[in-house]
Amino acid sequence: MSKSLPFTFFQMHPKALLLEWQQEPNLDLLHEINCFKTNIESHFKDICQITQGYCTLLIQWKNELENLTEIKAQLETQFRNIDSTQRHKKSKHWTLPVCYEGEFALDLEELSSELNLSKEEIVSRYSQPTYNVFFIGFLPGFLYLEGLDPRLFFPRKKTPRLKIPKGAIAIGGKQTGIYPSQSPGGWQIIGNTPIPLFNPDKKNPCFAASGDTLSFDPISYEEYQLILKAKNPIQYLTKKG
Amino acid sequence: MIEIQNAGWYTTLQDLGRFGHQSLGVPISGAMDLNAFNWANALLNNDPNAACLEMTLRGATLKFHQATHIAITGAMMPALLNFNPVQMYEPIQINKGDVLQFSSTKEGCRTYLALLGGLQTETVLGSKSQYKGLTRQHQINKKSLIPFHEIPFRPKSAKIKKQLINYGDLKLEAFEGPEYQLLNTTSKNILKKKKFSISQNNNRMGYQLNEKIPQPLPQIWTAPTLPGVVQLTPDGTLIILMRDAQVTGGYPRILQLSDDALNLLAQKSTRDQIKFEITSLP
Repeated sequence: MSKSLPFTFFQMHPKALLLEWQQEPNLDLLHEINCFKTNIESHFKDICQITQGYCTLLIQWKNELENLTEIKAQLETQFRNIDSTQRHKKSKHWTLPVCYEGEFALDLEELSSELNLSKEEIVSRYSQPTYNVFFIGFLPGFLYLEGLDPRLFFPRKKTPRLKIPKGAIAIGGKQTGIYPSQSPGGWQIIGNTPIPLFNPDKKNPCFAASGDTLSFDPISYEEYQLILKAKNPIQYLTKKG
Repeated sequence: MIEIQNAGWYTTLQDLGRFGHQSLGVPISGAMDLNAFNWANALLNNDPNAACLEMTLRGATLKFHQATHIAITGAMMPALLNFNPVQMYEPIQINKGDVLQFSSTKEGCRTYLALLGGLQTETVLGSKSQYKGLTRQHQINKKSLIPFHEIPFRPKSAKIKKQLINYGDLKLEAFEGPEYQLLNTTSKNILKKKKFSISQNNNRMGYQLNEKIPQPLPQIWTAPTLPGVVQLTPDGTLIILMRDAQVTGGYPRILQLSDDALNLLAQKSTRDQIKFEITSLP
């Protein structure tokens, strides 16, 4: 008897199958999902896209799924084919400058009083960790980051804001991320980065990828303005690996 | 070249959408009512992915600087070609210098204008669909100039029969979403029996509904979404994700509309009523 699969199937749409892992997000799971995704993409020719979450993969086919049993069997084979060498893919580390002052820190005051931490302590705790880029979703170039200090966990807003500024650094529950463009959203805003996260004219529109790591470097309002006005702000992004 | 003399209320350029860039967080986009969109291209024997204009509630005024053929489908939006009324759902011959003026929709919300060979604007990440931050323009503006190729019209030999879709139909077919089973019986009954109405917060990204479901559900780890997903926010508001919707989200996904239901919903607007017809997939 083969080991049972760590994920379950849910047909979400006549053309789409959702795979769900019943566990908390973790790095081993991230690598497992990334490798599995690569295998699925090379095996199935009639897929139009795969979307990733912390513990899920959504596979969309071009046509309605007719033989679900057969597709599930093929997915199982692709999962068993993940080999251990595949799991150690090279990743990059990025350091992003962030300003936590004035107009950029829309919700910092509220977080400070609700969490009973000074603003300085929030910034310091936010700047300590090395975050893992789990995936890019929500909007073009929105990085979902794991590694937030549990003292900074804070629920999303009950009603989403209609306009969150481009570059906003945000906390949503146990998650943190950066808004790459102005958009509606329900996360709590604590700062802003002048570094563009998405450029559709580039061959690689987003510098980071699932599996990379990232940290934040606090900057002053003046430094923020300098970077924003620079000819090529992305040069202020530092990369290792 | 088409010269936009008046852009109408909200006009964008759309094709079938942008696929394969979801790992960068890029939404699918594409025509809101794919039924009407496909039909417009079929009438001209166009490539199925040829870009069309999508006009919302009040249409545009266009001047054609070259001869071509067009087709108009979707919401019933009366139009005058050089001050003479034109028919929807059939190819229309256009001469150089013609002016086409649309008015407001009488029924439905979104009207499609297909042009022979498609509109020739920039392709970004495999699609011409306009989306803020991706394409240079995210909507059609007054004085926009849209290029196209002058090519001979080769109609399909078989006549395309018009199937009537009643945009006033309230019923939307929906499947149980991944988090549907978290709902209690009361909430499920509300979803099945109640008529919901569309709030004024409705656009290409999502439609919020006015009536709420009074059951707060736990937030989920951010997970994939699709156009047609019905989300339940912590304050009980239902949001139906549309074509420009985010590719992932953290609100429970309680329902998923069928493709036909999503196309029908795209023809509805503020204050229109809907009713979910919930079925389950295998």
